[in-house]
Amino acid sequence: MSAAAKRKRINHLLIHAGLICFAAACVYPLLRIFSVSLRPGDKLFSTDLSLIPAGATFISYARLLGDTMFLRWLWNSLIITLATSFIGVSLASTAAYAFSRFRFPGKKAGMILLLSSQMIPAGMLILPLFLMIMKLKLMNTYLGMIIAYSVSSLPFSIWILKGYYDTIPRSLEEAALVDGTSQVGAFWRIILPLTTPALSIAFLFNFTTAWNEYLVARVVLFSAKQYTWTLGLFELQGQYITQWGMFAAGSMLVTIPVLCVFLYSSKWLISGLTLGSVKG
Amino acid sequence: MATVQFKGIVKKFGDNLVLNGVDVDIKDHEFVVIVGPSGCGKTTLLRMLAGLEEVTDGEIFIDNLLVNELHPSKREIAMVFQDYALYPHMTVEENMNFALRLRKMAKTEILSRVTEAANILQLGKFLKRMPKQLSGGQRQRVAIGRAIVRKPKVFLFDEPLSNLDAKLREEMRVEIAKLYQRLNATIIYVTHDQVEAMTLAGRIVIMNHGIVQQVGSPIEVYRKPVNLFVAGFIGSPTMNFLSGRLSIADGVAVFSNESLTLPIPAFVLPQKEAADGREVVLGIRPDDVMVERPGGEKCSGKIDGVLEVCELLGHRENLYLKVGGQRLLATVEAFFNRSPGSAVSLCFNYQNMHVFDKTTERRISE
Amino acid sequence: MDILKSIYEVSWFILLIAAGVAALEGYFYSHFKFYARPWFFPAALSVFPALALAVFGTLLGGYSFKLWLYFLLAEAAIAAFFRFAVKGRHTVPYLLLAPAFVGLALLLVYPFVFEVYLSFHDLKLTTIMMWKNTGTLPFVGISQYIKVFTTSPLSEITFWALLGRTLVWTFSNVFFHVLGGFLLALMLNNHIRFKGVYRTLLVIPWAMPQVVAVLAMRGEFHSQNGFVNIIIAKLLAVFPFLAHLGVAPVQWLSDYPLLTCTLINIWLGIPFMMVVILGGLQSISSSYYDAADIDGASYSQKLRFITLPLVRPVMMPAVTLGTVWTFNNINVIYLVTGQSGGTEQADILVSALYKAAFTYNRYSYSAAFAIVVFAMLFFFSVFYLKSFDAAKDER
Repeated sequence: MSAAAKRKRINHLLIHAGLICFAAACVYPLLRIFSVSLRPGDKLFSTDLSLIPAGATFISYARLLGDTMFLRWLWNSLIITLATSFIGVSLASTAAYAFSRFRFPGKKAGMILLLSSQMIPAGMLILPLFLMIMKLKLMNTYLGMIIAYSVSSLPFSIWILKGYYDTIPRSLEEAALVDGTSQVGAFWRIILPLTTPALSIAFLFNFTTAWNEYLVARVVLFSAKQYTWTLGLFELQGQYITQWGMFAAGSMLVTIPVLCVFLYSSKWLISGLTLGSVKG
Repeated sequence: MATVQFKGIVKKFGDNLVLNGVDVDIKDHEFVVIVGPSGCGKTTLLRMLAGLEEVTDGEIFIDNLLVNELHPSKREIAMVFQDYALYPHMTVEENMNFALRLRKMAKTEILSRVTEAANILQLGKFLKRMPKQLSGGQRQRVAIGRAIVRKPKVFLFDEPLSNLDAKLREEMRVEIAKLYQRLNATIIYVTHDQVEAMTLAGRIVIMNHGIVQQVGSPIEVYRKPVNLFVAGFIGSPTMNFLSGRLSIADGVAVFSNESLTLPIPAFVLPQKEAADGREVVLGIRPDDVMVERPGGEKCSGKIDGVLEVCELLGHRENLYLKVGGQRLLATVEAFFNRSPGSAVSLCFNYQNMHVFDKTTERRISE
Repeated sequence: MDILKSIYEVSWFILLIAAGVAALEGYFYSHFKFYARPWFFPAALSVFPALALAVFGTLLGGYSFKLWLYFLLAEAAIAAFFRFAVKGRHTVPYLLLAPAFVGLALLLVYPFVFEVYLSFHDLKLTTIMMWKNTGTLPFVGISQYIKVFTTSPLSEITFWALLGRTLVWTFSNVFFHVLGGFLLALMLNNHIRFKGVYRTLLVIPWAMPQVVAVLAMRGEFHSQNGFVNIIIAKLLAVFPFLAHLGVAPVQWLSDYPLLTCTLINIWLGIPFMMVVILGGLQSISSSYYDAADIDGASYSQKLRFITLPLVRPVMMPAVTLGTVWTFNNINVIYLVTGQSGGTEQADILVSALYKAAFTYNRYSYSAAFAIVVFAMLFFFSVFYLKSFDAAKDER
């Protein structure tokens, strides 16, 4: 083996070693949750580090699904999140198209408004939103939550989608116009189908933001039946005796689907994010 | 098929005047090439005809119908874009029949038109493929096919060959010429390449700075360029320009500058244009510079020069000459066996000499 | 049954929103189309305020002359704007933007303006009943802003110390995010086996729901059952000399809350930076490296003169955004220390502001506080992006 090839091999070994360490650090907490979720009730607080604990059992899952309203919480979260994402992506897709393709007075101001909305401190808008929802008599309802969430990811979605539209050549729409579509038709039949990857990213972004939110939920929802899963889990974890087993089981149940969707779309996510940031 | 008229077309982007009063009449079945350097407004003119740009001022007629306010889809035109603009999410077939589907045409009619176009363009076996699976030349043919199936009144081509490599470009040029003979359609073709203009056009429209410089058949614009711009733009290699001053000696006009003195025959420059002391520019194509060689052309009224560089192109050879302080290019038959630095004598073919006024830049010779 | 009911409820709501959007588009379209007609003003002023009164009056449960007057004034302003400023131009982009921007105006701009209003008045636990009954609040001018700088939202710390802590928090986080992200991206940007697997595993902290991730990590820092202390104990058992160096299990959550939060947030934030930087690295053409190889550049020279400058344009927006997000990050700190009776030693500006509003009910004070934080972030970003643009122009 030549010296260069040898050096390359050693380099690669080092890289693998480094990556394995980091990857372990990334995965380990998840595995720990899994392990805790399998522990029998009497061994929840142990210093055992093995992944499959002695006497592993699904009792925590059974108790979570049987004794709490966890499924109901999941359903609440799901319906609120889906509706929010649907509204958010629809609004963002047209607005971003206007920003990408047209010149009009107020364009720059609009972009600055979008950017500066990212600077608003978390928690600042909760009180006014709370008052608004109270006025509309939508406290403790899905609709109140959907209204409160619907525009929260809009600026970022518009930003990402604009970056993507910018990469689609204008001549495609012009060809469609000459072929006989209207301006709206060109957007609907040519541009939107091509934007599917970016739309999925925007959808994913809206989805995860709403799925993980709890600050607004804490003030809008007050009956356990209407809780989203974040509030529910918080409850389990925050009571004077932390229900560690059930908390862990619940965490696994909410994490796995999100993780699957996220990993499935991670390729798009990466290209979409870099695109957005290069253009932005 | 149809006629197209541009009447006094003006286009402004903000304060930037892109087109300044363009008048062109295009006859039925005519192949018109609009040519000019980049930024001359030729593509803007085409896009205005297609309805993709607003008309600031002036009128556009297709078949004597004013189309200024008409939506692109209602103008019965088809356009081939520079980057082809094939819809990436549709197959070749779907790309080609998109416009027909939009018009809710009968399925059998759509199929027969697409098949016909595919046969003409040899696209039959690619119909089910996606655009990104095709080579550049094939995409180009799909883009043309998409236009053909429409059976439009006018075909618009926007620099269609500029994204192809040299060899493919020549092939497609011939294809387009054949296609024109077959369709016998009205075609408006925009390019910056004067070779495409010369080979394809029935008539050439030469534009610069948003103004039409000359309209004419390829041979007209080559033989009788109306001004310095056209003379320099058409023809390859570029025409030699010599600036100097006229004087009248014994009734004969004489051109002179610090490097050389030339009598201008009366058949080149009419008497009335030959004013004493007039500043002019002589234009001589490299083909019309004759260089004396053993067994070759013999010159009368020889001028002495020095050979600086030779470029052998195969059957022709470019000679870069220096006469006094003046540089000249001559294109002669290969092989001119002289080493750089040697003295040569040369003369001009007066039959094809052009004289332009220096200030107005307009042609003053016959 | 509940499930069916909720589906019904939400679909109905989405249809309502769609109808709202359609009405909005129709409303604006009529302004674009008919702005020049002689009957435009009378028609617009008679139809739209009445319609708006009908809709909003029903929603809010009360019709009043005052409300109608508001709508009339608004419609007069909008109609005049369309008649004299817009004049029917740019119809398509404005119509495309209208739903999103009306949404933003109602749910983002209006709450923001409301907070500005609050910050000049005094809304707190003692005035809230008065406000509910009369709808008015005592005007206090800029005294809330003065309070922001002179008093503190929390009991143990001044505003300036809080700001200092926030800056330390932000910069240590962003620094390690970029460093870690860069390191991982460099390692991943090689032709190695299992690259896809590594990348997948490495984004897990980002992909996990943040509530779960933070609470799980918090468990790992638990003084008895947490992984960190268990490992430290095991290390001490194997290498007793470490104890002399001061290594010992500690009460992470109560003694070092800010450090704990920072460690957790670094763990959370590295994947995002890694992904962005990896994208940037992959976009660098390999011919630059070939040229540098021919010029005899070492690995570190290539890193310094090729990789860094070429990744910079991709990284800068991400770093700006990352800085803002970290500065604004309430999740980690609130989830780790936020339970009632939790420590206040880890609070940064935004979490203090949240507590001021929702734990201590000092609404107006927290509004002024939020606006100060917003202004700081805004000027930071403007300055940062400007300098970045200037650097871009130079090249």
